[in-house]
Amino acid sequence: MIKLSAFIAGLLFGFGLLLAGMANPGKVLAFLDLAGAWDPSLALVMVGAIGVAVGPLTWARRQSSSLLGRPMQLPVKRELDPRLIGGSLLFGIGWGIAGICPGPAVVILLTGHWQAIVFMSAMLAGMLLFTALEARRSH
Amino acid sequence: MSEAALFLLGLLIAPLLWGLFATLPRIEFHSGWLGLIVAGALVGIGTRYGSGCTSGHGVCGLSRLSRRSMVATACFMFSGFATVYVLRHLLGAWT
Repeated sequence: MIKLSAFIAGLLFGFGLLLAGMANPGKVLAFLDLAGAWDPSLALVMVGAIGVAVGPLTWARRQSSSLLGRPMQLPVKRELDPRLIGGSLLFGIGWGIAGICPGPAVVILLTGHWQAIVFMSAMLAGMLLFTALEARRSH
Repeated sequence: MSEAALFLLGLLIAPLLWGLFATLPRIEFHSGWLGLIVAGALVGIGTRYGSGCTSGHGVCGLSRLSRRSMVATACFMFSGFATVYVLRHLLGAWT
């Protein structure tokens, strides 16, 4: 049941991204283009998604386990560190160049566009680089 | 398969399942291979250092009223807007 719900959650997330236009880099770039022919519709995607998620997540914060009996694991870190800010700024630059963020990068991977494969390879390389740098830091 | 892998599998096959019943929405790219490589690397390393992305911070984090997510979302929205402005309006990319 837990495995099925994880799979269905992935499917639903993917359908949502496709339906909303978040999986279309051209549309994302038009959303980020305040000074051009700005397409504000993706702001509604975020507002809509938060509107749906805020209730269940507020409930989840007060629980110690999920409906399927797993321990509730929500982030506990509170401090605003340079890693959070620097990392998010770098992510935004990448997002602004290609119009692709990690969720949509997975959704478009098997749609037959070579660009999606190049982007995913580079994204995984970036993530591995982070892991390698972290491993060096801890020595 | 782990739950995380099954979640990713669902995300991967969502467009294939969609394609069985309807035409897929348009997916258009504006970047060439160099842009895609630079962008992908920045997104990969940035989301790891920043502990999240548009869905992690922007949807889930904001829904939990997390202060870290509010700061992260403000940061990537700002640099996203700024990057498109610089590329499209100052450097004249994708015209």
